Amino acid sequence: MKKEAVPAAGPVTGGPGEMKLYSKRTRVIRENIELWSFVIPAAALIILFNYAPMYGIIIAFQNYFPGSPFLGEKTQWVGLKHFIDFINSIYFKRIMTNSIRLSLLNLLFGFWLPIVFALILNEIRSLRFKKFVQTASYLPHFISTVVVAGMAISFCQPTGLINLLLGAFGVAPQSWLDMPSKFPMIYTIINVWKSFGFNSILYFSTLSAIDPSLYESARIDGANRWQQCWHITLPGLKSIIAIQFILALGGILATNSDLVILIYNPATYETADVIGSYTYRIGIQNGKYSYTTAVGLFMSIVGFTLTFIANKFSNWLTGFGLW
Amino acid sequence: MAKNPNKIKEGSVIADVIFYILAIFFAFITLYPMYYVLILSLSDPNAAASMRVFLWPKGFYIGGYKNIITDRNLWLSYRNTIFYALASCGLMLITTTMCAYPLTSKALRGRKFLTFFLLIPMYFNGGIIPSFLLIQKLGFYDTPWAIILPGSVSIWYIILVRSYFRTIGESLREAAMIDGASHYRIYANLFIPNSKAIIAVIALYTIIGQWNSWFQALIYLPNTYWQPLQLYLRRLLILQNSSLESVMNLSAEALEEMAKEQLSNNQLKYTVIFISTLPMLVTYPFFQKYFVKGVMLGSLKE
Repeated sequence: MKKEAVPAAGPVTGGPGEMKLYSKRTRVIRENIELWSFVIPAAALIILFNYAPMYGIIIAFQNYFPGSPFLGEKTQWVGLKHFIDFINSIYFKRIMTNSIRLSLLNLLFGFWLPIVFALILNEIRSLRFKKFVQTASYLPHFISTVVVAGMAISFCQPTGLINLLLGAFGVAPQSWLDMPSKFPMIYTIINVWKSFGFNSILYFSTLSAIDPSLYESARIDGANRWQQCWHITLPGLKSIIAIQFILALGGILATNSDLVILIYNPATYETADVIGSYTYRIGIQNGKYSYTTAVGLFMSIVGFTLTFIANKFSNWLTGFGLW
Repeated sequence: MAKNPNKIKEGSVIADVIFYILAIFFAFITLYPMYYVLILSLSDPNAAASMRVFLWPKGFYIGGYKNIITDRNLWLSYRNTIFYALASCGLMLITTTMCAYPLTSKALRGRKFLTFFLLIPMYFNGGIIPSFLLIQKLGFYDTPWAIILPGSVSIWYIILVRSYFRTIGESLREAAMIDGASHYRIYANLFIPNSKAIIAVIALYTIIGQWNSWFQALIYLPNTYWQPLQLYLRRLLILQNSSLESVMNLSAEALEEMAKEQLSNNQLKYTVIFISTLPMLVTYPFFQKYFVKGVMLGSLKE
């Protein structure tokens, strides 16, 4: 990289006809070489770790053997075989059902909670107390998933906190995380606990942007708290709520598989397995490279289509979207 | 956010009381599980086993802590995590701030191409196996590079920094360019010193991200020597659990024995949870405001 400063604009001293140090064209090229050189470090890493693996997707259409080149003389092309195998296996339906079930539960309990939480704190008069509760609520977001999963696992054991508390109501101790029927609920509780505070930040910032004079005039008109909330606060949050909801619908297949992998076990696979956990098991642990790549590709195409539709819809409805 | 002028100043006392109770309930729900972990780790093992510890530690016992802190693997994994976090953080700041700079310049040609280049990976990726094969081909498998390098660039952060850089202003840059300053100089002497807030946000995001990440390491680092803290925790907290099948065939006495073992095991777990989360808890009050700032920046619409 050149260190010498290039006078990009050249010594332009007068009107037209004055001699310039460089022609305009050279100047633009030199400046752009300089500008593009800034991109090199990031672009190199992005090409290597984001684009290069995209080329590897071709093994989804082969019977790939570890160690052989992606395109060689011995490459066995199998077309869409792996895709068809996946769709015909029990796993396709299971993974779809589980992802959708977990996402819907997460929406059902996790979506409104940050909103209600923000509205409640908005009514708290003591700034210090409000700040304290707010700060506390973000904390779980920063605790690692491994630790949260570890806590959940030991709380759910027959001797754990959950059984202690339920025992007070006469419920017999259970090994909750070994019960397939309870997995979706436990997963949802952990997820909501970890994220509701942090998810409320967006609503807090939207609330504080509402024009205070609206409340002022509402009070003069004799509106009580509920009326102010209903007629001013909620309408103020309307568009952000709509966007968040549509985008959440678009991400319905993008289940947080980190948490699933940590807290599921063979006893709960039937209700816990999602795309990330399944591809990890069959790909990394069982070494079915081609099949796993096909599964991943198929699900990411479906997932992308959903996100795309949701975003288009959000743009159309609210004028906002991801892009 | 703290100075929200919109809190409602009139209303009944009962409503106030209800809101306070609800807020206290939220705070309790978030904090109690962590507090429970702390008090159980400090309680006398017998008291902990009797399961009567709810509000404060019963007895006082630091044996668990003594056991854990003498475990060499804990400190090894701690060291690895700190190394990964700092290395990624340094590289991340370089890649993101540099890449964001030309994106804010009017003189850049081919901006559309660059934007497209950055946009595509946000929606498509090769998936777990092609990435895994790539890491192996590059010779990064079982080396720290497999963790550090992929964690050293983030398209999302590039976009965040770009939004921030825009607030610094084109006019300032143009003035500097007329004075004959190169882009390198403007970047280093004008943009970077004026971007402390966003640099703090990106640095913290990266450090916390690496501190908490475990899945990459699970795939790429088979040997304990390079494994980060989270994998150490996973071994201790997650893998040491007997699942239902193994329990079903046991006799009543064996089950009782197991329950006891589970309890002392739990205490060890709570201890290690606390030790591994302590740096986060201590620094949390200072750094959390930067995360809030990051969320707001991220939600800015162009």
